[in-house]
Amino acid sequence: MLSPLGTRRAPVWEAILAGTPGVKAITAFDASSLPVRVAGTIADFDAKAYLEKKDRKQLRMMARPIQLAVAGAWLALEDCKVDKTTLDKTRFGVLYGSCMIPSELPELAEPGKLCVIPGERVVNTKKWGIEGIPAIQPLWMLKYLPNMLACQVSILHDAQGPNNTITENDVAGIMAFGESLRILERDRADFFLVGGAESKINPLSLSRQCLFETLSKRNDDPEGAHRPFDRDREGTVLSEGSAVVVLEEYEHAKRRGAEILAEVGGFSAGFDRARDGKCLARVIRQAMAAAGVGPGEIDHISSHAQGAPITDAWEAAAYREVFGHNVPVHALKGQTGNMGCASGILELATAALALSTGIRPATINCPNPDCGLVVTSGHGTKMEKPCVVKVSLSQLGQVCVVVLKAIQ
Amino acid sequence: MAQSHLMRSNRRIVITGMGAITPLGLNVADTYRGCLEGKSGVGPITHFDASTFPTNFASEVKGFDLAKFITEPKRFEYCGINGKFGAAAAEQALADAGLRPNDPCGSKADRTRFGLYLGSGEGITDFDGLISNIVNGLDATGKVDAKRFTETCLKVFNPLHEAEQEFHTTPAHLASVFDLQGPNFNCLTACAASAQALGEGMELIRCGDADVMLVGGSHSMIHPMGITGFNLLTALSTRRDSPQKASRPFDLNRDGFVLGEGAAMLVIEELDHAKKRGAHIYAELVGYCSTADAFRVTDSHPDGRGAIACVKGALADAGISPAQVNYINAHGTSTQVNDRVESLTVRKVFGEHADKVPMSSTKSCLGHMIAAAGAIEMILCVETIRNGVIPPTINYDTPDPDCDLDYVPNQAREATVDCCLSNSFGFGGQNTSLVVKRFAD
Repeated sequence: MLSPLGTRRAPVWEAILAGTPGVKAITAFDASSLPVRVAGTIADFDAKAYLEKKDRKQLRMMARPIQLAVAGAWLALEDCKVDKTTLDKTRFGVLYGSCMIPSELPELAEPGKLCVIPGERVVNTKKWGIEGIPAIQPLWMLKYLPNMLACQVSILHDAQGPNNTITENDVAGIMAFGESLRILERDRADFFLVGGAESKINPLSLSRQCLFETLSKRNDDPEGAHRPFDRDREGTVLSEGSAVVVLEEYEHAKRRGAEILAEVGGFSAGFDRARDGKCLARVIRQAMAAAGVGPGEIDHISSHAQGAPITDAWEAAAYREVFGHNVPVHALKGQTGNMGCASGILELATAALALSTGIRPATINCPNPDCGLVVTSGHGTKMEKPCVVKVSLSQLGQVCVVVLKAIQ
Repeated sequence: MAQSHLMRSNRRIVITGMGAITPLGLNVADTYRGCLEGKSGVGPITHFDASTFPTNFASEVKGFDLAKFITEPKRFEYCGINGKFGAAAAEQALADAGLRPNDPCGSKADRTRFGLYLGSGEGITDFDGLISNIVNGLDATGKVDAKRFTETCLKVFNPLHEAEQEFHTTPAHLASVFDLQGPNFNCLTACAASAQALGEGMELIRCGDADVMLVGGSHSMIHPMGITGFNLLTALSTRRDSPQKASRPFDLNRDGFVLGEGAAMLVIEELDHAKKRGAHIYAELVGYCSTADAFRVTDSHPDGRGAIACVKGALADAGISPAQVNYINAHGTSTQVNDRVESLTVRKVFGEHADKVPMSSTKSCLGHMIAAAGAIEMILCVETIRNGVIPPTINYDTPDPDCDLDYVPNQAREATVDCCLSNSFGFGGQNTSLVVKRFAD
């Protein structure tokens, strides 16, 4: 995992338990014209550290989200201590959630200069055809295709099994996880890298998001900008990140002596058309039924927690319907901000770490919960029950749920 | 998960509705007929002035007006054309299946067990906006000035248009309009996307996550950035003097693919569910496999490694032998490498039977609808089973010694077809194969 809280499992988990804030003022570029000037970024990311020397030349074909995805896969393989030579490559799958990858501006500036009269808002496409196109590097498009996260990872690690890319914004990571689970259940793979990676901390993505997304403008208090379920929440905070988990058939993991962090109990997905939480409540119940557990066995909910007024409210409505006020809610985004499809997987990984260590993490930036929820706060506490429910949702209504169980 | 959870489902999946918006017609029947007649959908690009681009032609959808298909077109006003094609094709497929929310069967169906899995492409970048913003955001030394650039973006970009470019909008619109409350997936695996959506959608029904799924794809890359990107990769044909001859899969003188656009949607359903409501069953979806070449982002594996595993996997999933396949709808893009490797793949998997199986590429007529290609090709397989006429590979003039199969050259062919294989192989090495059969109880 790579996140605003750090890189690799141990430092990230420590930062989560310490309640370290990950959102900062944007320093990567001059954001002073934007209404939003806070974000979570990965400091000093150098993709070369996560590739074998012979593969490093491939980096020029990878935009930042793809580089992050490749780094996340590297770290997950290192963390799970697998000997890759023992894997059946045709049963080694790769599934990623992926977002729209923004064009890098300098690459388009050269052709642009040839085809736009400064001050005007149109491109002379006749000139573009003759002079613009040759001014761009030949493999330009491959740097930006969303399926390249999973493709590049499959190439680097010779993973010839099932391979897919879910493009569905904030639910993409957990949807990829659910699909991988189904593929393992139907015995078409033994071993999966499931991830999500995205990076919107650049002038183009942030400008676009400012135009249509409900974002927190708490520029004078970056660390407190993302306020999950809090009375004073005003919108989400964009962050970049990459999270990859190894999802593996149980016997396969046992045979190779793997450290097992948690067992997957169930997965379910749906579309909350009215955005009132009713469908989300149904999907949570379905996932728990699949896991063979009831609300009484859930220690906490690893929530989505967009930090936006309306979205948090309907998410909370679902929790109240299913659990009353009895199950505490954890919201990692208070610390990380919203890493899009990477957040779902990082939050799932956090839930797995909670189950394996027995510590229920605390939420930051929610001093005044107003959605009728019990939100974890203060310090990590001892877990009391054997399961965690992980929820991801999109503001348009896509919802998905995974139930994780402690290993007995 | 425990070993005991591993299972093979015995739930059978049938196709009960189809819809299509393609360069050869605004419905399934016209599209299939156009292919049988060997028509080409290719012409000069009209979406923008592409006259000086290395490739100035494409296979565009003609005469499309969303208001003729749905009652609520305004909702899609700021969507890319891909979303609009998708909405129209979805309406057709659901009407065909009788499963729109207000249809007699549709109103009785459990909408929470009705999901959606699309291979829907991205929205379309505001090309003029983006490029001019970059130029107008340059500082005196010609470098991008973030402050100026962001200021310009906030002024110039249309918020609604930008919002609709996000990947989850098309599946959300369709689920909202058609009240599909089950699992809502969208994948984008380049040229394999909607085939993969069909396959994974079928698996969602098999494993019990849903009883009915709307599956398919919608896409258009016929825009300045799309043509620029593919031209730079030298993937597109540049046969500017005879565009209708440009898509020539398996022909010796092929020089790249021709971009198409459109949407294709299917309603797939668990067999008992379909029977109970007296649905018309078009065919049964029986096999699916997904593999990765894990080789290079630019080329297929030269020995067809991933593709062979994929075709074999789909046949095994269907429980059939190569000899039972009567027709293959090829990926057949008309690029040098794809067509050679795909022919090799079929020869290796089918052995001596390879010479007896007709394999055509309907991309010769339609062009390459990218994310929507796999779904339209599945629909054409279903029509082939129903009508007993195999669509031809047009523009097949000069055999290529590396492509030595029966490509159904230039003329449609009557044949009894009970079982079809459809291949889709994506940029980056993502392979998908599907098997569809005549339905027999």
